[in-house]
Amino acid sequence: MRSVKRNSLRLAAAVGVSALVLAACGGGGSSSSSGSAAAGGEPQKGGTINVLTLSEQFNHLDPQRNYTGVDLAFASGYLNRTLTQYKYAPGPDGVTLVPDMATDTGTANADATEWSFTLRDGVAFQDGTPVTCDDIKYGVSRTFATDIITDGPTYAIDFLDIPKDADGASTYKGPFVTEGNDAAAFDKAITCSEDGKTITFHLNQPVGDFNYAVTLTAFSPVPKAKDTGEKYDDAVVSTGPYQITEYTKGQKLVLDRNPNWNPDSDPLRKAYPDQVVVSFAIDAAAIDQRLIADAGADQTAVPIAGMMPENLSTVFGADDPRFADRSVDANDPYVRYMVINTQKVPNEKQRIAIAVAVNRAEILQIRGGDFAGTMADGSISPTLGAAYQPSGMWTDMFGQEIPATGDPEYAKKLIAESGEPMPKLVYQFPNNPVDEKMAASYQASLAKAGIEVSLQPIEPGEYYSIVMDPAKAEGLIRSGWAADWPNASTVIPPLFGKGQSFNLGLIDDPAFDAKIAEAKAMTDANAQAAKWAELNKEAMTHAWIVPTVFGKTQYLWGSKVGGSFMWDAYGAIPYGNLWVKQ
Amino acid sequence: MTAYVIRRVLTGFLILVLLSMFTFLLFSALPADPAALTCGKACTPQIIEANRIRLGLNLPLWEQYWEFVKGLFVGHNYGAGQASFQCPAPSLGYSFRRGECVTELITSRLPVTAYLTLGAFIMWIIAGVSLGIYSALRRGRWQERLTMGGALVGYSFPTFFIGLLALFFVVIKWQLLPYPSYVPPTENPVQFLQTMILPWLTLAVVYAAFYIRLTRNQMLETLDEDYIRTARAKGLKERTVIGKHALRAGLTPIVTAAGLDIAILMGGAIITESVFTLPGIGRLAIDSVLEADLPVITATVLVAGSFIVFMNVVVDLLYAVIDPRVRLV
Repeated sequence: MRSVKRNSLRLAAAVGVSALVLAACGGGGSSSSSGSAAAGGEPQKGGTINVLTLSEQFNHLDPQRNYTGVDLAFASGYLNRTLTQYKYAPGPDGVTLVPDMATDTGTANADATEWSFTLRDGVAFQDGTPVTCDDIKYGVSRTFATDIITDGPTYAIDFLDIPKDADGASTYKGPFVTEGNDAAAFDKAITCSEDGKTITFHLNQPVGDFNYAVTLTAFSPVPKAKDTGEKYDDAVVSTGPYQITEYTKGQKLVLDRNPNWNPDSDPLRKAYPDQVVVSFAIDAAAIDQRLIADAGADQTAVPIAGMMPENLSTVFGADDPRFADRSVDANDPYVRYMVINTQKVPNEKQRIAIAVAVNRAEILQIRGGDFAGTMADGSISPTLGAAYQPSGMWTDMFGQEIPATGDPEYAKKLIAESGEPMPKLVYQFPNNPVDEKMAASYQASLAKAGIEVSLQPIEPGEYYSIVMDPAKAEGLIRSGWAADWPNASTVIPPLFGKGQSFNLGLIDDPAFDAKIAEAKAMTDANAQAAKWAELNKEAMTHAWIVPTVFGKTQYLWGSKVGGSFMWDAYGAIPYGNLWVKQ
Repeated sequence: MTAYVIRRVLTGFLILVLLSMFTFLLFSALPADPAALTCGKACTPQIIEANRIRLGLNLPLWEQYWEFVKGLFVGHNYGAGQASFQCPAPSLGYSFRRGECVTELITSRLPVTAYLTLGAFIMWIIAGVSLGIYSALRRGRWQERLTMGGALVGYSFPTFFIGLLALFFVVIKWQLLPYPSYVPPTENPVQFLQTMILPWLTLAVVYAAFYIRLTRNQMLETLDEDYIRTARAKGLKERTVIGKHALRAGLTPIVTAAGLDIAILMGGAIITESVFTLPGIGRLAIDSVLEADLPVITATVLVAGSFIVFMNVVVDLLYAVIDPRVRLV
């Protein structure tokens, strides 16, 4: 899961909440994008785009370590080209897969265990060296060096056909280890054609949407000779239209044009501005104030993080013409929910009773009301396009309509029908003010249905390492998730598949697992999306989780910025699409 | 005198050693596990364990401390082969969280805090001492009440309030200055001054208020002394009486306070640096605490401690210069 990039490094670590909720990729859905039509006139070349952020540095610019929605949107727009990418477009179109370095969106064999991509002519690194299959292969190999290349996505390790040792770790340990390293297995897992133009990935399982996975910069090329391991974070060799001129952490990152980027080889990026300057370490409140004031150089400024809650009513409260065409208030890819541990509450009727009793309206209010999100009815966010279908869990799934404030009487009836006494439960949550209030709300609403819940606040930094440990997980667990790419294949399997990374409820349902495997192998995106929608619905009938909030994010940008909107693919501003109105 | 200095430096050194040990102990007792903090989505016990080794947290505490001390003299090497890199001596370790050698991190931040502190110090000491003398000389008149009232107001407002107020009016509302964005003075002196003027004034207002009261009280006390009357009776110029006789006698507590204030600010003007987004030691300290970034925390604590120890020695030495009655033995 990509980590939520609210206010960077320091908040992610401090709140820890965010540390595991992934960012990601939406598709279509309910963007009420006021800025969608904000392109405003013909794009022009020239000028400087100013990016403002509270962070003192990017979490990671090293492509194999970059795993934060907005950072990926930034890096993929300016520095790291990938085999495929998403279209720069507002609304559902923004999750359309398009070729980037590759000539098309990839070819799979019949059972989707082999994927091939052919490189375009003219793709080069910033020093002019052409990018070959070997460079991509080398880039991917870095993911396996898990002791150095930390924080990044591990899909290469999960999917590539390389043996695992007894502990479940890959026998290939990455390019920095020479002894006892199964490099031969890696060589077989990624093969290059003789002309170095075609790359083939050999997978250990059918992955119908592997061509989505390669949009992650973890699958982008790195020149072996320039790789400095841990230190590559500061000296990324660009394949995109810009290159790093200056990177002073805590102050600024300056990107200037990359002379060796060939526009003919790049159907996506238009590279309008001459320069991009990221200013670090600016107070979050000050960023909002500057964007609202819209003075001087801030007229060409865009933020990295969404707006602070206290400034939202200024911008979105009234139909203020000053902000109408330079702001957006739309769903982001995050889904918040409460896990019901199936080992602690094995009785399905009782789990349904818990879901029915929760006062969801109050949870949304505590999270920040209408600007914070909308009421959720499943694990798949509305930004995931066709995979999102109303699950009906609050309308008719449980036999009657469940009001947003919960129905304690009906919950009591369900518990009576369950045939066994309701166990006493413990609710685990990261110890921060918002979660504390939510915990109190859960406790109160469940108490009304006669369900006794005690609270267990956990140090945020340790939260996920505790709740992910089956021996320490309690009956009710606060959680959240966002897809890694705009396909529910990064939602349903990790959340509900047996033994999967984020199956906090310890669900063990072989029939459901079989359906997951079936869906994963589908290469027809539409058929697969329909299947995920169906599985989402089925998961809700078991009340494995109680979905509460589909998240929303608000962005504001300067009046002279063109081409900005909510890019559903990353829940971020489409940095690579921006231009300066002269 | 020399023996005194040597003794003080040695004690100071000992205090710093104890301080570093104490910080190590304190943060090893933290509930947060730094090895788990950098573990992403595919977090498994194996990865946490690998992280622990990478961060050196698998070693016993005394060995971690020994590594730290060793690094100060011979530097640290990390990684192997192509992925290896070095933090040269004096190395305070490496922040895997930020991807930088801690010594570099500190030395890049220190000038920001130093400029901030020195600029503010010059302003507040001039304003504080002169207004303090002025109000002492106007005892009981409206000028004194005005100055002291103003000082009380300045003293009552916390720095973040004055800072935010100044930002809001001067930068956002009236747009008299561009938004603060730190650059070194060597790179762009104009932007440097534009960025620093508000933080300087903010700190100066708060600190000057204290120095006005301190100076005034000292002056009032000494102005009543017999030797002042004697000096005046001898027909000395009022200027000499005030400057040479009254002020000098009252200077000792002012120097003590100033020395400690400088030392504390050099250890990080946390709030002012945060409000004006200056990348100084204070911000670094607060961020690394939130991130449980142990090497950086230890280093910032040591830097802050060093300044306090150092300034204490300086203040003691200055006593001897100001007040001939003080003999350092």
